[in-house]
Amino acid sequence: MLQMDRYDTRAMRPGSSAHPPRAVGNRALRSRWAGRRGTWLLNVPARLLVLTGCVVMLSFRAGAGVVPSGTGASPKHPYLEAHARQAALSTADHSKFAALKGPFADGDGPAVTKACLTCHPKAGDQVMGTKHWLWRVPEKKYEAYGKGGWLINNFCISIRGGNYPACTKCHAGYGWKDSSFDFTKTENEDCLVCHDTTGDYMKDAAGLANPAVPLDEVAQHVGRPGIANCGGCHFSGGGADATKHGDLDESLLDCKKSEDVHLAKSGAGMDCVDCHTTEGHHIAGPDYLLPANMQETPQYPGQKLGHMSCVSCHGEAPHASFVLNRHYRKVACQTCHIPAFARGGLATNVWWDWSTAGRTKNGQAYEEKDKDGNVTYATIHGSMVWKKNVLPTYEWFDGRMSFMLATDKLPAQRPVWLNKPLGSYDDPSAKIWPFKVHEGKQPYDTQLDKLVVPHLYGDKGSGAFWVDHDWATAIKTGMEIAGLPYSGHYGFVRTNMIWPITHMVAPAKDALTCMDCHSKKSRLSGVKGFYLPGRDRSSGIDFLGWAAVLISCVAVVVHGSGRIFFNTREKRDSK
Amino acid sequence: MTRVLLYLRFERFWHWAQMLLIVGLLFTGFDVHGSYHILGYARAVDLHNAFALALIVLIVFAVFWHFTTGEWKQYIPTRKFLREMAGFYLTGIFKGAPHPVKKSRTAKLNPLQRLAYLGFKLLIIPVQVTSGLVYFFYPNLNAHGWPPWTLRAAADAHVLGGFFLLAFLIGHVYLTTTGSTPLTNLKAMIFGWELMEEE
Repeated sequence: MLQMDRYDTRAMRPGSSAHPPRAVGNRALRSRWAGRRGTWLLNVPARLLVLTGCVVMLSFRAGAGVVPSGTGASPKHPYLEAHARQAALSTADHSKFAALKGPFADGDGPAVTKACLTCHPKAGDQVMGTKHWLWRVPEKKYEAYGKGGWLINNFCISIRGGNYPACTKCHAGYGWKDSSFDFTKTENEDCLVCHDTTGDYMKDAAGLANPAVPLDEVAQHVGRPGIANCGGCHFSGGGADATKHGDLDESLLDCKKSEDVHLAKSGAGMDCVDCHTTEGHHIAGPDYLLPANMQETPQYPGQKLGHMSCVSCHGEAPHASFVLNRHYRKVACQTCHIPAFARGGLATNVWWDWSTAGRTKNGQAYEEKDKDGNVTYATIHGSMVWKKNVLPTYEWFDGRMSFMLATDKLPAQRPVWLNKPLGSYDDPSAKIWPFKVHEGKQPYDTQLDKLVVPHLYGDKGSGAFWVDHDWATAIKTGMEIAGLPYSGHYGFVRTNMIWPITHMVAPAKDALTCMDCHSKKSRLSGVKGFYLPGRDRSSGIDFLGWAAVLISCVAVVVHGSGRIFFNTREKRDSK
Repeated sequence: MTRVLLYLRFERFWHWAQMLLIVGLLFTGFDVHGSYHILGYARAVDLHNAFALALIVLIVFAVFWHFTTGEWKQYIPTRKFLREMAGFYLTGIFKGAPHPVKKSRTAKLNPLQRLAYLGFKLLIIPVQVTSGLVYFFYPNLNAHGWPPWTLRAAADAHVLGGFFLLAFLIGHVYLTTTGSTPLTNLKAMIFGWELMEEE
């Protein structure tokens, strides 16, 4: 700027004697271009421009951060405090109620339920309509959906092959041991599995209360469900801890903030039911019909059942950066904020091959484990692979899934997807979501081309695979119990399942960075249907562009060296 | 010889501000494109957007300046001396032939410069600005029904424009050395003045 001032055009204003120009140019031109209108015109825009530039740069700096505004980690954990306050303000002390004095006979869960219903008479009917009780979608049209329906899964396949007592260990009821279970008896509902606060409650086969549980003690200490209540079943999906979901396992009971910012006591100190809010015993959450809604934004958790979402608490624009906030339209919060699942030290099952099951050593069933204690082979289950810190698979997802039923013919494609998220880029309600994909092999009817429901759980000699280790009888028996047609010929087929990942939200600092997706090594390399800056490029355009740059460079080098060559020759010649 | 103020103060400011912004845009742009990772995607995107906004503001002021001062006439293409200019760059310059076009305050650009800069102003810049705006506002446009291929088209045009800008820049910088001495033109662009033979 100082340099430019040496030639300040104001010095050339006609008649000005302050700084006469050191060289005399064309007088007419000077006045035409620089003098008459130039002086103020030249300066005002320049000054305005500099000012605007500064404002622009400052405003961009201010908005450039990527850390959400709400991360100023508060030393008080609002939910821990709120829970304590709620508990202190409770108007009931269940240990004082005569109805709960007992004594209850060992394992007599229904007696406890009857006692509960004396003070909560409407609860029985409420629970009766819930998915925790029915294990299927209440609507007639979709009643095949649900683990009590005709869905097939990649773990123990189906409850329908006479496996009720094993599966219903996690049923919020007592005594569902076969298809004759009476879903209209309120005393068979299990209040304690969700409301026990002592941690002493346990369920056995068919969902019966373990006889060793001190029912009086448990009944007198009921309350709001904590993480352990929900986790008792939901952490053990697939048959054991950490098996099914990958983002739900027992590590969450006492986790670090780095594993789950919401559930960690050093984080928000939340319980499951702080998001999965409840209305008359219906608990918010996606089931086979109600999508985990992503476009509607409830103003508070529980405003609409099933519509819990990150947005209820964090709003639609939680980042300081405008560009980051805009991702919300097409990218689920979970995609960036759950960089990996199974982060709590427990490995999740990613491969379950039933086709190798049944091998025995000296006629005895056996198990093999890896160094972390994960079962890699079991006579009763087959071969398995377990993984920790798994990178999710990403898919377009509008909250709905397609499902395969035991009665469906197998599609031509292998592997067979037992469920599949629906949605695409063009679907305005779909977003990119993280998923856990589970792969495996399971038996199917090679003639009818349908999956089968083997009989797994039962007594010796009943044909149950877990004790008799024979596929032919296990499948035949299971199909008979289920009342499904079976050709008698079976084989094994590759089947996949997929679940959205939404728990184990990491602290903001551990969220994905731009480059995790916007680069050639994009995590989203499998997500199609759109142009992703940084990941995608048109090779033709790049070729054309580099060619133009190259031509320019070559022209410069050739022309320049030509000039130097002829110039030096000329100098030499003139000497 | 006389000294002529060839480039006025705003013009010089505009030129060098534009130079800084375009170099910044190229540097950050190819980072975003993934040709290299120096700043990192997040910083490159933020800076690219900031530079782009600043350049748009600069362009608005420059357009205003060109029309209010009449300087836009400098860019009217002409065939006069076009052949001679081409001949000069192709052969004459190697033989030490004199520059075929004399600069003056009212006609400071030779016919090739006129064509090149007019093309720059009417083709490359508008394509870059338009495709850049479509690129930036694509999420909003998509919400109004613009199909995904518009983003791809905008991105392709923007990337190609970026390459052409780079190619232009290389040639442009080289051609500054073709003055009476290699640094004559550069000095004129910095200080405004150039020595000229009396007519």
